[in-house]
Amino acid sequence: MASAADLQLRERRREGAWLIAPMTLFLLILLGFPLVLDIIYSISKVGFETLRDPEIVGIGNYGGAISDPEFWAAAWFSFRFGIIVATAQVLIGLFLAIFLAPLLDTRPWLMAILMLPMMVAPALVGLMYRLILHEFVGILPYYLYLWLGDSPSFLGAQTAFNTLVTIEILQWTPFALLILYTAYAAIPNEIREAAAIDGVRGFATIRYIDLPMLMPAIGVTYFIRFIDSFRVFDNVYTLVGPGAGGSTTTMSIYIYRAFFRVGDIGLAVAASMLLLVASFAVLYLINRLTARRKPT
Amino acid sequence: MPRIVKTLAAAALFAALGAAQSSAEVTVLGWPGGPEETALRAVADTYNKTAADADKVNLIFFNRDGFFDKLAADLGAGSKEFDINLLATYALGRYAPFMDPIELPAAASETFSEKVLATMQYDGKQYGVPTDLSLHFMYYRQDLIDQLLSDDAWKAKYTEIAKEKMGKDLAPKNPDEWTWDDFEATAYFFTKSINADSPTRYGAVLQMKNLLFNIMVWHSTARSSGGNWMDAEGKVTVDGPGFRTALELYKRLYDAGVTPKDSTTYEYAEANAAFGSGQAATMLQWNAAFGDLDDPAKTPAVAGKIGTVAPPAGSDGRFTHIHGLGLGINAASEHKDGAKKFLDWLATPAAMEEYALAGGSPALSATIIEKVSGKRPDLVKLGNFAGSYGFVMNGGTAAKALSVYELQAKEFTAYWTGEKSLDDALAATAKGMEDLLKQQ
Repeated sequence: MASAADLQLRERRREGAWLIAPMTLFLLILLGFPLVLDIIYSISKVGFETLRDPEIVGIGNYGGAISDPEFWAAAWFSFRFGIIVATAQVLIGLFLAIFLAPLLDTRPWLMAILMLPMMVAPALVGLMYRLILHEFVGILPYYLYLWLGDSPSFLGAQTAFNTLVTIEILQWTPFALLILYTAYAAIPNEIREAAAIDGVRGFATIRYIDLPMLMPAIGVTYFIRFIDSFRVFDNVYTLVGPGAGGSTTTMSIYIYRAFFRVGDIGLAVAASMLLLVASFAVLYLINRLTARRKPT
Repeated sequence: MPRIVKTLAAAALFAALGAAQSSAEVTVLGWPGGPEETALRAVADTYNKTAADADKVNLIFFNRDGFFDKLAADLGAGSKEFDINLLATYALGRYAPFMDPIELPAAASETFSEKVLATMQYDGKQYGVPTDLSLHFMYYRQDLIDQLLSDDAWKAKYTEIAKEKMGKDLAPKNPDEWTWDDFEATAYFFTKSINADSPTRYGAVLQMKNLLFNIMVWHSTARSSGGNWMDAEGKVTVDGPGFRTALELYKRLYDAGVTPKDSTTYEYAEANAAFGSGQAATMLQWNAAFGDLDDPAKTPAVAGKIGTVAPPAGSDGRFTHIHGLGLGINAASEHKDGAKKFLDWLATPAAMEEYALAGGSPALSATIIEKVSGKRPDLVKLGNFAGSYGFVMNGGTAAKALSVYELQAKEFTAYWTGEKSLDDALAATAKGMEDLLKQQ
């Protein structure tokens, strides 16, 4: 016979299930239905004309994506872009978080100003830089011509990658700053004071106290920025499109083109499913790495 | 009878009346948000004044973004929400399976030339009335060319540069007599890095972004050199001298710095900005750009100084890519008779005259053009050039035509930027086209 405590626990679980039911239903409808549809499309031969009548053909679309050199070129572009951008954003964000902390502690409104770049839609950022960097109407080439007599190619095949990386860093470093500053500010001062009594000073405090305690936040920030940069679409597409010979084709642009331009919806959805799996793999990896370094 | 039942009965009656009324009308899905919409609204109003109630037209418009994909999905799903829908030359093959061919009235041949009617033909059948046409002009700075043709020092320098860069003895010519050699020599002459005395920074502005519409612009060059997608037997012929000559011309000009450094990211707007700044002497561009470029309020640096001619001649003569927008009948329509009546009327000289005066860009026959040329002088060249130089590549209306353009854009831009050799780019294009055109 169940004890009173067991009955109470069971009752609480039942209540919990009821409370969580609306959210579960919401997620099932909002995420589950598209996911099931995506899985069906990814194993089908389907175009815009046959959206309601896909022909199941097996895993050929996955094979088609994996054997497509353009898929791998896009994956490599996105991977390089994601790694470089996320690393730079975390490093700059961390630097700013630690060294601006005294200023931000006393003038928190400064954070709102620093967050401004994030508030602009990425597609608009792309269009904005299309204007800023245009040789004949852009402000940057204008002053370079005025002062130096020449202006480099910012968006040419050889320079587009660097320009895109710079723009992404400028827009999204504030995000890293926000998370890392919040985590930094949450470290109790008593720990630093105790370390100071033990003779730990300056960079040693950062190296042995702050950084270990910031590692989970750094890991999460890196993960979010990497995934966000890996799946970049808007600003790259509006600024340079897929690039000469497909040289700036990100994974998202690859999927978009396969879907809308080529009309190969099965291939596009299969590629996006592969991207989803890769995202989970990265999430798992980052979780493992940061979990190990959690201070005990 | 209880009040609720009466209310419901009245509501049902109104709904039935409303349904009957809306089902009696012909619904037209048009091209939204531009002069085409304004013009279509104007002619629809005129038509509705005299049409029977059952034949009146009702206009609907999607957003332009993703228009053709949404249209494909609707047509594929057998939508009956519209009876007449927009068509574009390069998407004809994609929509043809879901549309009814039409037989235009005899008056249509008075209104349009055969070449213009052909922009709405697929597999030997007419699928629509061509309402608007796009083609290319060679834009040039009239003031600079006038000086080049009259200034002896400039003439001598031009000949010197042509000899040095091209190894040819050339003298300046009127743009209407240009070959691509003359265009190339002129572009060198007006490039500051080649001719320090050039009043412009660049001799030309080329649109070289990996974008299908840029390939349409470039096709005018390729076709004049004898290039075509396929021969009469349906064999893909892009890996031939016509395409090679035109690809090499762009590559030479890009490498020589004749066009802006970021030209590989330029499309319509960027090219207009470059030419409009007064820093580029020539530009091969869509006819639609003329209005803004010649408007002193929008582009004061060049307005009033622009000349336009048909693209220069190659070994096969002068050509300009043309493509049209038009209206045809949805195969799933339940009002085909009414739809046909509207299209028959739209193809008449009177209707198209009104369409032109309301802002549309139809390519009209010479007799109709005369009547509107006072208010729409730009349409004179449009009609003349379309009739004299217009072409559609063999296979340019195929179901996968858009994908072919995409493929060429990717491969050719790879060659222009040095990421692929000409042989590799053409071989990949030919193979891809064979696969795409075979899938039909």
